[in-house]
Amino acid sequence: MLALYKKDLQSFFFSPLAYVLSALFLFVFSVSFVSFIADVESNELTFSFSNVFYNNFFYFIFIIPILTMRSFAGERHGGTEVLLLSSPLSVTKIVLAKFFAVMTVFLFMMLLSIFFPIYIMLTGEVMWSSLVCAYLGFFLWGTVCITAGMLLSALTGHSIIAAILGEIVMEGLLFLDQFANTRLVAAFPKLDALIGWVSMQRRFIYFSEGMFRLEDLVFFLSATAVLLCWIIICIEKRRFSRG
Amino acid sequence: MVEIKHLTRYYGKNPAVKNISFEIQDHEILGFLGPNGAGKSTTMNMIAGYLPSTSGTVVVNGYDITEQAVEAKKCIGYLPEIPPVYPEMRVEEYLRFVAGLKGVKRKDVPAQIEKAMERLQITDMRHRLIRNLSKGYKQRVGFAQALLGDPKILILDEPTVGLDPAQVSEVRQLILDLKKDHSIIFSSHILAEVSAVCERVVIINKGEIQAIDTIENLERTMAADKQLRLTVEGDKDKVMRLLKDIRGVQDIADVTAEDKQVSCRVKIASDAVRNEIMSVLIANDCNIVEISAVKLDLEQVFLKVTSRSQKKSSLEELLEEMPDESSAPSEDPSEA
Repeated sequence: MLALYKKDLQSFFFSPLAYVLSALFLFVFSVSFVSFIADVESNELTFSFSNVFYNNFFYFIFIIPILTMRSFAGERHGGTEVLLLSSPLSVTKIVLAKFFAVMTVFLFMMLLSIFFPIYIMLTGEVMWSSLVCAYLGFFLWGTVCITAGMLLSALTGHSIIAAILGEIVMEGLLFLDQFANTRLVAAFPKLDALIGWVSMQRRFIYFSEGMFRLEDLVFFLSATAVLLCWIIICIEKRRFSRG
Repeated sequence: MVEIKHLTRYYGKNPAVKNISFEIQDHEILGFLGPNGAGKSTTMNMIAGYLPSTSGTVVVNGYDITEQAVEAKKCIGYLPEIPPVYPEMRVEEYLRFVAGLKGVKRKDVPAQIEKAMERLQITDMRHRLIRNLSKGYKQRVGFAQALLGDPKILILDEPTVGLDPAQVSEVRQLILDLKKDHSIIFSSHILAEVSAVCERVVIINKGEIQAIDTIENLERTMAADKQLRLTVEGDKDKVMRLLKDIRGVQDIADVTAEDKQVSCRVKIASDAVRNEIMSVLIANDCNIVEISAVKLDLEQVFLKVTSRSQKKSSLEELLEEMPDESSAPSEDPSEA
């Protein structure tokens, strides 16, 4: 399992992909960061990292499919899936190894973004509780989206198709969140409760306000687990029905 | 040893492999023959544990491939039809990855990689990107990968496709060398290769086994209906009339007449009929220019076996060891 994890990690870091995506991530982060600081004087909004993260996520979510597109579709397309599936590794281990590899790249990106709080710390004051919660929320939200991206990669046989589908699904998730905030939904309390329950953005807002709710943690973790199981089932199912 | 027991595989509603059973003994090279689309690759994929079977199972070294998959797969080295290589990796790096994947002990990895590279003569290519290698070398890298982990059983799916003649003969020699330490099953539709390397062959067509035997036995059995190639000096009509009057001549085919010589293929019931033919022809002033037995080589056996698909009457002896063909698959595959 370690061998596959290392191989996948190498395919990110020995190619420009991880660096280009990290640079893009930091660029988007810095644009939000700078614009929020610039607005501090004129705007009533106070500067907070939660807002930066929140703002950043709308761009970051479109990076995710590029990060995950190759994980399974690439193996299928290149004919190397047979090597993995005929090796002594179980499908679960294969999926986990690939998941951890993508997560490592994601963590690498987040690690780079620590530059911004450190910079603030040197010149001002950082509210650590809020910052840690924002990081945790961003991490959990990102994890669910990454797993969803991997699932799409497992469902299709081509990386580009996986990426395009991924963008559509991510757009759909954002739309759902936007839709949840409309007056139309608010008019129907039951619908509001339902969409509120699945809306990851609403849950993120709690984190961004520095509130850590077990309910949200469980939601994000179980969503990830369900999606991972779905990937495993999807690969197993294809082995049975291929033809 | 590998036992393949009643292996059946459906693709949707179409059976790709129907109730196949055979065994691969230790230190044996088994040839797996069949026309394109016969189910060779599907069977090999199932033996390697890549595809699950609809029913039936494969037992590798005493481990069931579905129930004890990890142990069974550790005994198998598999080279699929398309070598499963990562173009962006270097040869040595790739082999190290596969060794890790197969759970080779860390201290054994360098030695195993060196040995595999030496055997396939790719040591000079160790630092090259696989992307930049020729097809033949990619095939060798794929082959080297199969040898890692020192598996007891090697499954080679058309290992010589895309190689030049010199490489083909090298690979053949390699397969013969590997026989000392491994049991090998390899598929091919190049018959010369199979007869040069294998002791036993399994011929498969439309997902069903048509014959399992040694090459000599197959050639002999298939030639059971004896045929003579005959060239005689004389009038065509007269020769034909004489031949037809001999008891034991079953069929006369491919008749050609040229320069007062008549050539034909005669199917006879037994060897005794041959003498009868000769004496009758000589007695009627027809000089025999040539008379020879038509022997089927593997190629003809193959064509004959695969073209008869449903009619197996003369192969009954060979198929006696096979399970009942009519037994239906135990379960229907669930549709996607």
